[in-house]
Amino acid sequence: MLAEYFPVLVFLGISTVIGVALVTLGGLLGPSNPDSEKLSPYECGFEAFEDTRMKFDVRYYLVAILFIIFDLEIAFFIPWAVALDEIGWLGFNAMLLFVALLIVGFVVEWKNGALEWE
Amino acid sequence: MDIPIPQTVFYLFSFIMVAAAIMVITVRNPVYAALFLVLTFFSAAAIWLLLEAEFLAIVLVVVYVGAVMVLFLFVVMMLDINLAPLKEGFVSYLPVGIAVALLMAAEMLVVVWTRDRFGPEIYPVPAAAEAGTSNTAALGELLYTNFLLPFEIAGVILLVAIVSAVTLTLRKRSGVRSQSPSHQVRVKRDERVRLVDIASESPDGRSD
Repeated sequence: MLAEYFPVLVFLGISTVIGVALVTLGGLLGPSNPDSEKLSPYECGFEAFEDTRMKFDVRYYLVAILFIIFDLEIAFFIPWAVALDEIGWLGFNAMLLFVALLIVGFVVEWKNGALEWE
Repeated sequence: MDIPIPQTVFYLFSFIMVAAAIMVITVRNPVYAALFLVLTFFSAAAIWLLLEAEFLAIVLVVVYVGAVMVLFLFVVMMLDINLAPLKEGFVSYLPVGIAVALLMAAEMLVVVWTRDRFGPEIYPVPAAAEAGTSNTAALGELLYTNFLLPFEIAGVILLVAIVSAVTLTLRKRSGVRSQSPSHQVRVKRDERVRLVDIASESPDGRSD
């Protein structure tokens, strides 16, 4: 089975070589004479208003966490769909229950307004 | 003499994994630490692939590298991190940290050290799967029949995660002007327009 993945290994090797080569060649051959003005943060011509590190709305995390949960749910679907012929009605109903549980979570999200951006 | 490719690949990726894991805890910049953690996960996925757990390897890349680490980077980049306050109190936290580390190491040793429960004699290397076997199908056949209860428990845990994430992070903001499409659609003509009878006027100002 591992032999089937040999092209992936070759691909990994070649892409690593290309990536490293591009960065090193660019660093070696490109002109580089920085000064403090060139390295300073640039914000459309005027002085920067604030620091790069700033607090963001917690809503971004909420959306990301909810995405990960449903991402995991999709991951459970793949072996189920592949093995659907063998697992029969028991496996089919197991997935129905699983989805029903997550629909409860989805309703909780929706009704609480977690999907709204305001 | 020919070099055994799987062993070479294993040592290559495990070296990268251990090196990246050390970098995660030693590098100063939290963003770099998160990126090294991505590299660690990726090398672990490659090792799982060598163990012929192809589906789990791909899921590790998709879920951890693709989603969880992006969330980590979100958190790391969006919190306003000043490195100086992070370093203060290092010495005062040190005893607790060492105690926790020793406890974890002891727990791992309890599992791994005893020869009669763990080792190549107890778990011999299984025969390599022949070409064309679907690891995903084998996993599906077991997961949705023999391991049905753990699977449903996983669903309940995901539900708990949804509810707790919503409860912990959802804040209602007051004074937000937002559209309500359902309300807009259901609006009646009488709520928006008022017809008023006004007597018409002639050009010279006299009302008829």
